[in-house]
Amino acid sequence: MLLKKRIYSFAIQSRAIKPHIYSSSIINQFSSSFSSSSSSSSSCFRFSKSKFFGTPTNVLFTRNIEDLFVKNKHLFCSQPKSVENFKCWNCGVEADNATPFLFCQACRTVQPVNHSIDYFRIFGLERKYNIEGGELEGKYKDWQKKLHPDLVHSKSQREREYAAEQSARVIDAYRTLADPLSRAIYIVNLEGVVVDEEERITDPELLAEIMELREAVDEAEGAQSLNQIQAQLQEKLKYWSKSFEDAFLSKNYEDALASIRRMTYYRRANEEIVKKL
Amino acid sequence: MLRHVTNRILAQGLRCPAPPAGAAGAARMYHERVVDHYDNPRNVGSFDKNDPTVGTGLVGAPACGDVMKLQIKVDDESGKIVDACFKTFGCGSAIASSSVATEWVKGKHMEEVLTIKNTEIAKHLSLPPVKLHCSMLAEDAIKAAVKDYASRRAKSDGTPETAPIKKAADA
Repeated sequence: MLLKKRIYSFAIQSRAIKPHIYSSSIINQFSSSFSSSSSSSSSCFRFSKSKFFGTPTNVLFTRNIEDLFVKNKHLFCSQPKSVENFKCWNCGVEADNATPFLFCQACRTVQPVNHSIDYFRIFGLERKYNIEGGELEGKYKDWQKKLHPDLVHSKSQREREYAAEQSARVIDAYRTLADPLSRAIYIVNLEGVVVDEEERITDPELLAEIMELREAVDEAEGAQSLNQIQAQLQEKLKYWSKSFEDAFLSKNYEDALASIRRMTYYRRANEEIVKKL
Repeated sequence: MLRHVTNRILAQGLRCPAPPAGAAGAARMYHERVVDHYDNPRNVGSFDKNDPTVGTGLVGAPACGDVMKLQIKVDDESGKIVDACFKTFGCGSAIASSSVATEWVKGKHMEEVLTIKNTEIAKHLSLPPVKLHCSMLAEDAIKAAVKDYASRRAKSDGTPETAPIKKAADA
């Protein structure tokens, strides 16, 4: 009988959500199970309930059914972005897709972290490598004014936890996008291309160049020669950064990864110079 | 001068050696052997690349920005490695792995050193899983050095005996 009540209340709730293939299939499956075990004892209901929760095709059912009411957005997490609609956990107002939904505009409550909002969306930027640096910092500060844990003392415990997670994510996003190399790695990751952490190469030209570079840094005496090497490095980084952008735009991920490799090497060399200076 | 260079190279490695005992959370300790290779560097240096008895192996791990050069000096008649040196820019584990590699190849025959496995190096240094690729890099460096020597030898006098060594090194 308890299961029956839950099905009905869920059906009411799902009508409030925009029509969605998941929600309709849930109702259908629930109603079919309900009808198939109509006049059986309560133990049969329990059996059908557990059967659903164990079905591999419906990942949603591995969650507690209460979660379906509260965290509605999880029903949509595997859908393409255009279908996503976020609802505030506090006031139930749906978010407009204009601003990234970290924070409800209506009731001003902090929302839990949703990983489908990628770093570019947090800052309202297009997903491209060549972003304008100036706006990044401004938007970052704006977000922190709303999300930073130190500024949410008056809010509930739950909200403060959300604020801590969101704030950390925004910091991560800012740092990743501000640095060209990490931005490059992030943007290829979004396209599904992963940089192999344990890759080993034997390219003699590249390695000989890097070896010479590191030896030069190592043997350089005095700030002047170090600054000279650093200036050359910045040039090279700029060149390969451009090369990455071109490769990425033409979806040439092999070349994009090659550019990332080079930039990583130059970045390491630069770090050594900075240490010596 | 060599010591100076050595220390400079190795100083780049262990940026944060064993943290103070009072540090909260899991402390990442370098094994004492790794620290030993850092404090007492051995076989750091360079041979003349153009020397016909020298084989140079140059490998790199671009994800961490590591580059490793391992050189062997081979006795032409016996095919034994009489001397080895290395130069590595990278973390302490990478430096220690290549240092161990140079120690192990000395006095061995070229075919024999091709059987040195990264797992042995890793075990010797008690490398954590995240640093296993450093030992792989050292294994690659040994193979590359042998291959380089063999191919240069083959080019200079075209002896057939270096061919099987090359095949094994390519594997």
